[in-house]
Amino acid sequence: MRLPFEQTLYLRPMRGLWFALSLALTGGLVWLLHTPIPAGQQRIPALGSFFNPFSGFWRNAEPAEGPQMPAEVRLSGLRGRVEVVYDDRLVPHIFAEHLEDALRVQGYVTAQHRLWQMDLAARRAAGRLSEVLGERTLELDRLTRRRGLPYAAENALRGWRRSAEGMRLLEAYCAGVNAWIEQLKPADYPLEFKLLGYAPEPWSPLKTALIVENMAETLCGGENDQLATAALEALGRATFDQLYPEWNPRQQPIVPDTGQWRSIRGTLNPAAPPGRDKRLSAWPIEEEYIRGSNNWAVAGARTDNGAAFLCNDPHLTLSLPSIWFQLQLHTPEMNCYGVSLQGVPGIIIGFNEHVAWGVTNGGHDVADWYRVQWADAGRTRYVVDGQEQPVEWRVETIGIRGRAPLLDSVRYTRWGPMTYDHQPDHPLHDCAFRWVTHDEPDPSEMRSFLFLNLAKTYDNYREAIAHYEAPAQNFVFATRSGEVAITVQGKLPARRYEQGRFVLDGSQSASAWPGFIPNEHLPAQRSPTRAFVFSANQHSTPPSYPYYYTSRDFDDYRGRHLYDRLNALQRANADSMASIQQDNFSQRAADALPALLRLLDRNALNAQGQQWAAELERWDYRYEATSTAAPLYEVWFDTCYLRTWDEMLDSTGEKQTLLLPERWRFIELLDKDPTNAFFDRQDTPQRETARDIVTDAFRCMQAFFEKNPEKRTMWAKFRPVSIRHLAQIEALSRNVEVGGHNTALNAQTRTHGPSWRVIVELSPDTVRARGVYPGGQSGNPGSRFYDNLLDTWAKGRYHDLFFLKTPEELPEAHLFTRQTLLPR
Amino acid sequence: MRNFHLVHATTFSTGLLLAAGLPWWMTAVFGALAGWLWAKSNGQGFWGGFVGALLLWLIFAVVRDVDNEGILSTRMGALFMGLPRWGVLGITGLLGGLLGATGALTGYRARVWWQAKQA
Repeated sequence: MRLPFEQTLYLRPMRGLWFALSLALTGGLVWLLHTPIPAGQQRIPALGSFFNPFSGFWRNAEPAEGPQMPAEVRLSGLRGRVEVVYDDRLVPHIFAEHLEDALRVQGYVTAQHRLWQMDLAARRAAGRLSEVLGERTLELDRLTRRRGLPYAAENALRGWRRSAEGMRLLEAYCAGVNAWIEQLKPADYPLEFKLLGYAPEPWSPLKTALIVENMAETLCGGENDQLATAALEALGRATFDQLYPEWNPRQQPIVPDTGQWRSIRGTLNPAAPPGRDKRLSAWPIEEEYIRGSNNWAVAGARTDNGAAFLCNDPHLTLSLPSIWFQLQLHTPEMNCYGVSLQGVPGIIIGFNEHVAWGVTNGGHDVADWYRVQWADAGRTRYVVDGQEQPVEWRVETIGIRGRAPLLDSVRYTRWGPMTYDHQPDHPLHDCAFRWVTHDEPDPSEMRSFLFLNLAKTYDNYREAIAHYEAPAQNFVFATRSGEVAITVQGKLPARRYEQGRFVLDGSQSASAWPGFIPNEHLPAQRSPTRAFVFSANQHSTPPSYPYYYTSRDFDDYRGRHLYDRLNALQRANADSMASIQQDNFSQRAADALPALLRLLDRNALNAQGQQWAAELERWDYRYEATSTAAPLYEVWFDTCYLRTWDEMLDSTGEKQTLLLPERWRFIELLDKDPTNAFFDRQDTPQRETARDIVTDAFRCMQAFFEKNPEKRTMWAKFRPVSIRHLAQIEALSRNVEVGGHNTALNAQTRTHGPSWRVIVELSPDTVRARGVYPGGQSGNPGSRFYDNLLDTWAKGRYHDLFFLKTPEELPEAHLFTRQTLLPR
Repeated sequence: MRNFHLVHATTFSTGLLLAAGLPWWMTAVFGALAGWLWAKSNGQGFWGGFVGALLLWLIFAVVRDVDNEGILSTRMGALFMGLPRWGVLGITGLLGGLLGATGALTGYRARVWWQAKQA
């Protein structure tokens, strides 16, 4: 006879208890291993799902020889057969019968190798990082949205949609990305998705627009308006002009004046813009501008075999995975090789069978602030020319992992979003942000780089970039017939004199930009008699250019030295080009150090100081990895600079209240005006001159190294370079010891540097190229292709690039695998 | 002893056949099944499940690690308190083992309880 359940339990209570306990133990363990562990700002992933070898991180440990890829793939939407040949550096060479197919497969292979990076960049620009990273990125997301990046991306997409052909190609690319995402199982997700505990989303044209805006934010989102305004008000016009001249007379502009602008009526004549802002506040001292690039093209007259050379090395944040992805696109209408941005169809910097092109950042200020005059206390209406206008509201819903979303209402005025109106103490609290990137672009802008990929002639090049708007770039160009050219291309405001240098009066419609510089007036140069063109983020033109423009940070040194190097070229070859890219000579050090040594009071130094001064005297101004003088100079110069401009800093010395003068102007004052009143220190009763500042700074430098003897080492160890993983995960980052400096052509800093060194040789017989970037083609930290190019880059070497005419042309010894993609 | 071997062999072989494509916590279920079928004591259940699941997770991980020449396990070790490569493998095996062990113990205790109910 069976006993009722309750009686069984009563009679055999221990057995039920044992079972319950063991079940609770198992359930508890599963719960524990299923729960991510908070660790400060970070988050340790759920150990069970992360460590299990069936779907956790072990699944990302690909075979040491490289990823396994099926020989044949069926892809929806393909019109024909596509062959992808991967070379032994995992560069895909895509051979398609239709351009649309080539871009669809570009999307597919890019997602295959860089999906998480694409997702992160789109989230960064959309202000959606907090959805996966939690509160630690909330303020960044909020600022991103308040600066109007998602708004700009929506406007960009609206503009692009007016081109049916452009959208067809973009949608093919997005469909390729989505084809890869759709077939992924959670076990196949890239490692970072598993680490951070979220899943990839479908790709869309809006996300491509966000990637473009992300680049615009990096390259043309900066300005100095508030600090310059404060400096003008505090110092007065005469002193302001003395400290902050916009033109460095020793500069070599990108495009010289050869009389081409005589017939243009621009905005050169000074005419004061309406009203300026008067607030003073303390801002963190900005690091010296460190994003930038070099590019140049040399015509056959200066080369040993008559071939033209085109070189480019964009200096950007060095990251793992790398910002660039190499590929070749081959269709009946083009054969193009170069580097692409993840999420954007086509090749950004590259070459084809006819031409080559490259870019550096234009650096023009295209972002201004307008102080708004409110009509009511609730700030729902504002005044322009005496007329009240309502603000428009844009509600930003910011998802935050682990808590309720934040709803942020942002006011939009005719000038743009009120970025800081949620921070009452912010000096730009009542200012609207006007940024050229917010404007709806020309419908063809998105295809500018695709048109360049297809270009065969100079005219094709000019037509291709004519619709390109932001961020403004210096497009260098060369052809197989030996023609070289450069164009400063972008949507640049045709400003009144000094308009946009300071905060503008938003209560007058006359404060608006009068228009934009017409394309035909943008600085350009074609096959000059000097047989080279070049740019290094310096001034586009000399002061005689008829349009006024300004910048936070035009380069002052690389351009000069690059000009000198190119001007001295005779019988150049690819090795000469490489030596220029890796040149560690600092023009700034060469300008400053003789003046510093001349001003230094040697009698005030002890024996050690005398010895180090002598070492500096022998220094050749080269930031070589092994230089031990470079760290001495670096600390000495920086100390002199900050001690001189104590007037611009707050009482802590850590924040600036006024704009710091540019370094070239500081060196000029050291050299020519050593008794200038600004050399007098505010915190001492006596009056100092440059000699006192320089000598005192030297003793400080000496004390610094005596206190930190481990820093008294060679330059590469003093200033290690960290190539950070994009999620700032130390274990997935790499440190390297290399030379270079942001004032040298090899513009290397702790975090930024040459992100793609490429040298293209073009002659009537052949097109060949060498290139390298500090990373690898795979975004997977479990792949040998994650960082396999890094050591080559660090040694200053290059790889010959495989520019194929047919899929069969790749030598077997350099073949990784072949893949055929067929219509589904 | 025979039953101990049967527990770990069953945990290991069901995992070998079924684990790929199933959630990671199914390892506990494989252990539970083995514990229900073969275990004659708490110790047999726990340690049988532990050894079977440890081997299951460890062998899968070692195969991948060897094939990968330790590229990823070295990086994961750096991520988790600077563990060496073998430490990452060890944690993997340990986590799998614990899941199998508690699962098998639960399976065994469930059978004992169920049999008591039937009596």
